[in-house]
Amino acid sequence: MLKKLPIYLDANAGAPLAPSAKEVVLTFLNESNFLVANPSSIHARGRHTKRAITRARECVARTLGEKDEERILFTSSGTESNQWIIRSALEKSSQDPPHWITTPIEHDSNLQMVRWLEDRGGTVSYIPVELDGSLNVKKLHDLIQPETALVSAIWVQNETGVINDIQELSSITQSYGLPLHVDAIQAWGKIPLNLKQTQVQYMSFSSHKIGGLAGTGVIWTNQKNLLPLFLGHQEKFKRGGTENSLGIMSLAGACLDLREDKIAYVASLRDRLENAIKEKIPGTKINGGSARVANTSNLSFDGVLGDGLVMALDLSGYCVSAGSACSSGVLEPSHTLMAMGKTRLEAMAALRISLPMQELHLPSWEELESFVGVLGQVVDRIRNAVRKDERKK
Amino acid sequence: MKEKNKKVLVAMSGGVDSSVTAVLLKNQGYDVIGVHMQLWNGGGEEKPKGRCCSTVDANDARKVCDQMDIPYYTVNAQDVFEDYVVNYFIHEYLQSRTPNPCAQCNNQIKFSYLFQKADELGCHFVATGHYSRVIQDDGVYRLYKAMDQQKDQSYFLFGCTQKALERTLMPLGAFTKSAVRELAEEFQLKVAQKPDSQEICFIGVEGYQQFIEKKVPAELRPPGLIQLADGTPVGEHQGLYRYTIGQKKGLALKTKHHDQYFVTGFDSQTQTLIVGPEKDLFRKHLIASHAHWIRPIPSPSMHCKARIRSQHKESRCQVTRLEGDCIYVKFEEDQRAITEGQAIVFYEGDEVLGGAWIDRVEPQVAYAS
Repeated sequence: MLKKLPIYLDANAGAPLAPSAKEVVLTFLNESNFLVANPSSIHARGRHTKRAITRARECVARTLGEKDEERILFTSSGTESNQWIIRSALEKSSQDPPHWITTPIEHDSNLQMVRWLEDRGGTVSYIPVELDGSLNVKKLHDLIQPETALVSAIWVQNETGVINDIQELSSITQSYGLPLHVDAIQAWGKIPLNLKQTQVQYMSFSSHKIGGLAGTGVIWTNQKNLLPLFLGHQEKFKRGGTENSLGIMSLAGACLDLREDKIAYVASLRDRLENAIKEKIPGTKINGGSARVANTSNLSFDGVLGDGLVMALDLSGYCVSAGSACSSGVLEPSHTLMAMGKTRLEAMAALRISLPMQELHLPSWEELESFVGVLGQVVDRIRNAVRKDERKK
Repeated sequence: MKEKNKKVLVAMSGGVDSSVTAVLLKNQGYDVIGVHMQLWNGGGEEKPKGRCCSTVDANDARKVCDQMDIPYYTVNAQDVFEDYVVNYFIHEYLQSRTPNPCAQCNNQIKFSYLFQKADELGCHFVATGHYSRVIQDDGVYRLYKAMDQQKDQSYFLFGCTQKALERTLMPLGAFTKSAVRELAEEFQLKVAQKPDSQEICFIGVEGYQQFIEKKVPAELRPPGLIQLADGTPVGEHQGLYRYTIGQKKGLALKTKHHDQYFVTGFDSQTQTLIVGPEKDLFRKHLIASHAHWIRPIPSPSMHCKARIRSQHKESRCQVTRLEGDCIYVKFEEDQRAITEGQAIVFYEGDEVLGGAWIDRVEPQVAYAS
């Protein structure tokens, strides 16, 4: 048990559990007397679990503006969703070897597939990024080749919160008859989503980014020919393995708590926070242009380099993030910020603040004010500590 | 202990020594923060098979911190380590010098970069699991050998400054290694039986020669002749970086009594390796640079003892200061295989006075004392 709960400003890494998610899961556990039967079993208890999953699927589909819930597949994570889509679309392509168009600001789960494809002789092109962190979508025209089998792009960038123009992107892919895969993991719950209004073939989502339990991801697709990931009858013979029933239910619960009317309030709090930081700390830069989601701020401070900032803030009781952490817990420079022209050390030091979207976990303005005070002290300390020879890089 | 001085950053390798260090300090009432430095990622290539830089060690350090309920962080020191230690290591071998990366790492990373991290995290002290002792005497910090002479690591710490020592805690200096292992058992640390690290952490099982071959284009490490001191050719070598002074193995000489020759010198101009009989290895005089004294030493010339490599038996010598940070050292007796690139470290009894990097081995007296 933590002695004193730190202030949580890292919702893009994992959102707090939504009240309805908790309620749905606890209700099910109580009703079933804590026996979560296998949904494939034909008996009453199995059917009880199966029914809950079916309802969850309907709920997720409805939330996404999709009438046909059979277009929803449950996976184990956003990573699985992304990699499954990419792998399937490229493996079944008639082009051999295929060409894939993606972007330099994708989540690592997507970029891992670059190596996978190149090892198989395929090639990759990247849609260029502007200094404000958004994709230069029009350049897609120049990248398309006869061998192009898939275009993948992130809708809302997880580190900067920048919103990309998926409408325009999808109209281009549509005009070439190319399938489009959109990573909508950070978009869900932060901007209005309606799948009916886009010309997208594949979309990926993740439960714990909107307030469900971690361990569940979603693929939405209107394509019939997704290659099976694991052999077995579950998920329409596409993904064998007993379903993560409670995780799926928690996701449906979290869907119930998504409300667009909260977005404006979170945005106003975030803007107030950014203004207070800029006023308190000279040399603050906001990474990412004006088209950003409501809850995310990505900040650089002149003279603050390397990985000390997140650790120092943690010691002061604030959960924030920077760069991307690898398995040993070491921070690597953010590839997203490097794509936006930052140096390695700047890209390691950039601070991501992401506010929870739920009222219950949203910090009060007083808490954010004290955060700004602590941030000011820590930035001063680090500016004094950073070695002069390191600044040159 | 002043309240503001209670915070200590403990450098945690994931081994038994630094883990016990962290527990001892926590038990003494310090606010301990465990930091593991990720030093090397293989320079973009595959991870070395060696132990030091693996995620296993980071995870071991994390587990110990979890067990003690203290904060744990992995610090990314890969860039500074590559600049100051790995590139130095390669550069020295290409200059026909034999580097000492551990001393360099202490000087540039542990007692420099890590102190910067401590500043960033608001820690007054930095603690390490080194077997060595820091003792304050009248406002002056002195560095001493460990009580356990077998484990003593003070040789590698000669570059410590007063500024760093004032903030350094090395609680293991008073323990033997076996006592530390017993403490680890007593504290029920999972790493209690973990073997000691060996060799150079960023060099995998393939060895340093292959490491350099992977990093350096062949034109920069050309083959050449092996000659006797009088110029008689006796063989060919595959690059001077493969040899160190006193080496006998791997010479493949085409001469009588080939098994009685040792590497005695290098001619970098002509890329020639010089070999000779064992007696040619014995020298008394050397010039060293970048001399550093741990506490102020007033006299321009002094008698003390010195080690010319970590496993060397310290011997009596006279040190004379030359211009800048250069020194001239004259041993009372001949020393075997004094090697350029290694550190010479000076002792008075158990105290480490300082050290310098060996630049030139002189065949005879060149500088009057």
